[in-house]
Parts: sequence; C-alpha cells; structure tokens
Amino acid sequence: MKVESIEIDGRKVFSVRAFNQGVALWLKRLPTVWVEGEVTELRRQERWASVFFTLKDPEDGACLSVQMARGQFDALRLELVDGERVHVYGRPDFYEQRGEFLLRAMSIERYGLGAHLAALERLKQKLAAEGLFAAARKRPLPRIPRLIGLVTGNDAAAKRDVLTAITTRFPPAHVLVAEAYVQGPRAVSTIVAAIDDLCARGVDVLIVARGGGSFEDLLPFSDERLIRAVVSCPVPVVSAVGHEQDTPLVDLAADVRASTPSVAGRLVVPDIGELRAWLDRAHGGLQRGARRTVESHQRRVTSAAERLHRAPALVLERRRARLAATRGRLLALSPKATLERGYAIVRAGGAFVRTPPALGTPIAVEVAEGSFGALVE
Amino acid sequence: MTAEPTFEEAQAELERIVERLERGDVGLDELTTLWERGEELYKRCAAQLTETQGKIEELAKRLGTEDV
Repeated sequence: MKVESIEIDGRKVFSVRAFNQGVALWLKRLPTVWVEGEVTELRRQERWASVFFTLKDPEDGACLSVQMARGQFDALRLELVDGERVHVYGRPDFYEQRGEFLLRAMSIERYGLGAHLAALERLKQKLAAEGLFAAARKRPLPRIPRLIGLVTGNDAAAKRDVLTAITTRFPPAHVLVAEAYVQGPRAVSTIVAAIDDLCARGVDVLIVARGGGSFEDLLPFSDERLIRAVVSCPVPVVSAVGHEQDTPLVDLAADVRASTPSVAGRLVVPDIGELRAWLDRAHGGLQRGARRTVESHQRRVTSAAERLHRAPALVLERRRARLAATRGRLLALSPKATLERGYAIVRAGGAFVRTPPALGTPIAVEVAEGSFGALVE
Repeated sequence: MTAEPTFEEAQAELERIVERLERGDVGLDELTTLWERGEELYKRCAAQLTETQGKIEELAKRLGTEDV
C-alpha cells in the first residue's frame, strides 16, 4: 500500500490521515511480543467493545496504553486489579483516528510465582553482592531505647502485638507509631516515607512489622527501594514480617530479624523486672562496698595502733636480751672459771704477785671457794 | 555542663563505682565522693524506671481513606 502525499513548492507533504496510516503500516511490521508491567487505570465497561488499561514499568514508571477486546479479556477470567504485575502478549498498534500508540493485547498472564521467585532471587544476589546483607553491617540494638519507632499497617494485629509486648515488658517505653500500607502498590513508598519520618523524629531503634500474608502481599517487603531504605536507616532496624517460614529480603537487610511482631517487641526493650533487680543489687553493692572500704580502713588503723602500743615494751625486751648476751660474754672472760680448775690468785698489797716477794710479806690468796691470808716463808 | 546521662550511661558508671568499692582499696576521702555519686546514679536510674510514664504516640495519618 502506498501512502499518498502531495507536492507543494517542491516539498513532500502528508495529510494527518495519510501520515497516521503510514505510521500504522510501519508499526504493523513489528513482531508480537511479551511485555511485563503493572496494571494501572484498568477501565472496563459492559457497553464497550474493548478493555483499556495502562501498563506501568515498576522501576521508572514508564507507561504504555494497552487495549484488548472485552470478550477476550473476560474469557481470561483474571479478575485483574490495579497494581498487579502481568505479562501481556501483543503487538504494537496505532489508533489512527487519534494518533495514539498502543499495545493491542492478545493474551494476558498474571506474573507467575516462578517469575516472582526468579526476580527475587536475582535481586537477592545483586544486593548480597553489594554486601547489604553482610553480618558485619548488623548493628546492636540499644539496651534501653529512648524512643522506639514502629512502622506497621494502621489496624494491623501486628501493631497490637508489638505494642503489647513492649509495654508489658518495659512500661516506661516511648513508642512512635507511623502507619503505612503494608500491601499493594502504595506499600513501598508509604513504608519508606514512614521510616524516613521516624528517623527524622529521633527514634533510636525501628521496628517494621507486618503479620502473615500471601506471597504477593509480602512482596513489598522484598522491594529494592524498601531494602535500601532499611540499609541506609541511621538506627538499627528490627524486621518482623510474615511468619517464621517467610523470608522477605527485608529480613536479610534488617539488623535483627524477629520471627513474629511480639518477638520484635520483646527484643527492643529490656525486662523491667530484671532491670529493677539489677538496680537493687547495684544499690546493695554500693552500701556493702562502702562498708567494706570503711572496715578495711578501720582494720588498718587498729593494727597500726596496736603496733604502736607494743613498741616500747619491745624496745625494752630487746635491750634486756642484749644485756644478757653481753653478761654471758663477760662471764666467759672472768678468772673464776680458771680458779675452778685449781689455780689461785695471789695479791700482795692489792697487786698481783708475779715474782716471789720478800720473806714475811703478807699476801692474800684467792681460790675458787674463797680467800685467805698468808705470810711468805 | 555535661548532658544528663542516659540510663545506660548511668548504669555503666554505677557498675564501675560498685566494683571499685567492693575491692575496698579506695581512699576515705574518695569513698565519700564515690558513694555520693553512686547514690545519685542509683536514684536517677530508679526514677527513670518508676517515674517515666510510657507513651504511645501515633503520627498523623497520611493514608487518608482507611479507618483508624
């Protein structure tokens, strides 16, 4: 088919109709393909021949108009709602009357569990390779938080469970609760906003809680934006999402993973009973320690005093002992021991006699048992 | 001025004081200072446990249509 144009002043000019026809013709040569995206603005009415919706790229929000014959759409029995992720099989088409580009759908498949799992696994590998799940990144929780932030659905049992656990275990706790959608297309952005808001209000620990739900319900908790918000959160994050067996990626990114919302509540606060018991022990220790210190000083003073009292007696005793020893040595030197062996000391006129004196000289003789006088013959 | 210590800081300081006193090797003049400080920390911790009123605050609703 030839698109007609006319020559005006040597210029090739197309009518709008011809132009659109040409574009449509050209587009028809493109192949039929599968396109993946989120369903938004789904419009279906009984009196319309077609169903319309916009397919939106979940990453950057790029949009594509999709049209499908209503009979075909209804026959699929998909019961699609806004926000659901689908694969659309169709070919590019051009609505000539309005000059609008669209994808003419021939089939739609709900984005399957397998596709979700594969995408999750890819994201998990990527984030793990960045080190976002590394054990070294995990921060310890404050022992006694000043202000606890809680992100949860507005009427969720999860919220009640967390709050009950916190206030039972530690009644003085101060909790700031921010609500968010915890499923559906707006969950990620509201949860991220709640995290930022709570951090800006100075919480020192954060809990992200959600009760159990279907695989799809929990998908926002594996969203890359949410994961990055948790990782870059300036305070430690406790995740309590779904049941024990669910492992949304937020569990890997959080500093602590709690198996249930109640457990998360118990993890962030200390037990007030234990704290009181500790305080009583510390107080007792303070009294005991002070007493012990005083007593040890008293003992030292007492023993010093005793030593002081004993000191003069000790000096006397020592002198006495020295005297006795001196006396012993003195005794050993006296001539008495020699006299005992039978020698005698002879004195004449008070002097020792060393040479024989003149006859008739009176002398004094000292022997062991006594002394007597005599005359020299 | 130093800022009011948190419970954790007060707790840690009280623990250190009790340990020192229990060793009994503190001078008498220092004992008075330590003991008074210990009592002060004890009272502060006890007050935080008993007098601090727990609070649960809900941030302003931004989700609009949902019931509270």
